[in-house]
Amino acid sequence: MKKVFYILIPAIVMTMVSFKAINGRLISRSGHISFYSHTPLEDITAHNYKVVSTIDPGSGSIAFSVPMQSFEFEKALMQEHYNGKDFLNTKAFPKAKFEGTIQNIDDVRFAEDGVYEASVKGNLTIKDITKPINEKGTITVKGNTVNIRTKFNVVLADYGITFRKGKPSTNIGKEIEVTVDADHLPE
Amino acid sequence: MSRRKIFKVIIILAIVGIVSAVSIGVYLFNKPHRDVEAASIEFRVSNTDLVTQYLTNPEKANQKYLDDSGNSSILAVTGKVHSISRDMNNQAVVLLKDEEQKAGVSCTFTLQTSEQTEKLQVGQSITVKGVIRAGAGYDEDLGLYEDVILEKCSIL
Repeated sequence: MKKVFYILIPAIVMTMVSFKAINGRLISRSGHISFYSHTPLEDITAHNYKVVSTIDPGSGSIAFSVPMQSFEFEKALMQEHYNGKDFLNTKAFPKAKFEGTIQNIDDVRFAEDGVYEASVKGNLTIKDITKPINEKGTITVKGNTVNIRTKFNVVLADYGITFRKGKPSTNIGKEIEVTVDADHLPE
Repeated sequence: MSRRKIFKVIIILAIVGIVSAVSIGVYLFNKPHRDVEAASIEFRVSNTDLVTQYLTNPEKANQKYLDDSGNSSILAVTGKVHSISRDMNNQAVVLLKDEEQKAGVSCTFTLQTSEQTEKLQVGQSITVKGVIRAGAGYDEDLGLYEDVILEKCSIL
């Protein structure tokens, strides 16, 4: 009988521990988002390493918060234009947000290492304008780190960012490629 | 003055004008980034005071610290080291936060200044200089408090 307990108790403890890991929220406080704009005249890239995001492995809900002034450009003038009132107006709208759900969350096994294709549906808010987006991403589980990686396009005009004249209208792409890369750890 | 001389002067002025316009253009296009480490401090504030300002009135705090062109205020923030980590660009990130605080100040160093954080101890009180990028606050979708963001940091 005693022997059974010796086996049973560790087994119960192990199960509880692994369940805790599965049910607990996963958090990233230094995710990387970059964007890339291409025109025949100029290629523009900017990087942001201060993205905060959470994954709820139970419900599949995910959320991203992006501090807009943290995007760093190669050229100072570009960065000033980007932040300015005519473009992203980052003083009035300091953060962009995404909240959504991983549609196939049941396919993702958070307790073991693996790579999963995830389909994400949600709402992206830039400059207080919210649009639905539906994209694919890759979830990589390695130890207790859960990485989310995705690449998608954002049409600037959808968020009220339009240029009719001047350099920005010719040198900034109408569609921007956004790349997301974030490592999440248990809370 | 002969007609020819006047013509010559006009041509010279035009060339000088074009050259200076082009060089101003090139200068603006290649204008260097603001050197945050060398720039003067606009506000000296404690970690707890700064976070409290954001949690009580974020609009007022943004008005005070953020800038339209992204060249927001350069702050010197004093607080206790809560954690030290590295981001995906291998820059050091020091979180200034007291145990009982809901949010702190997350300070990202540059690739050049990151080594200043190597000897830091958790619990140590330090003053960090950097540019503010975003304030603290509770986000319902994330379900957690976000920290104040300070970048291009160095230790004073």
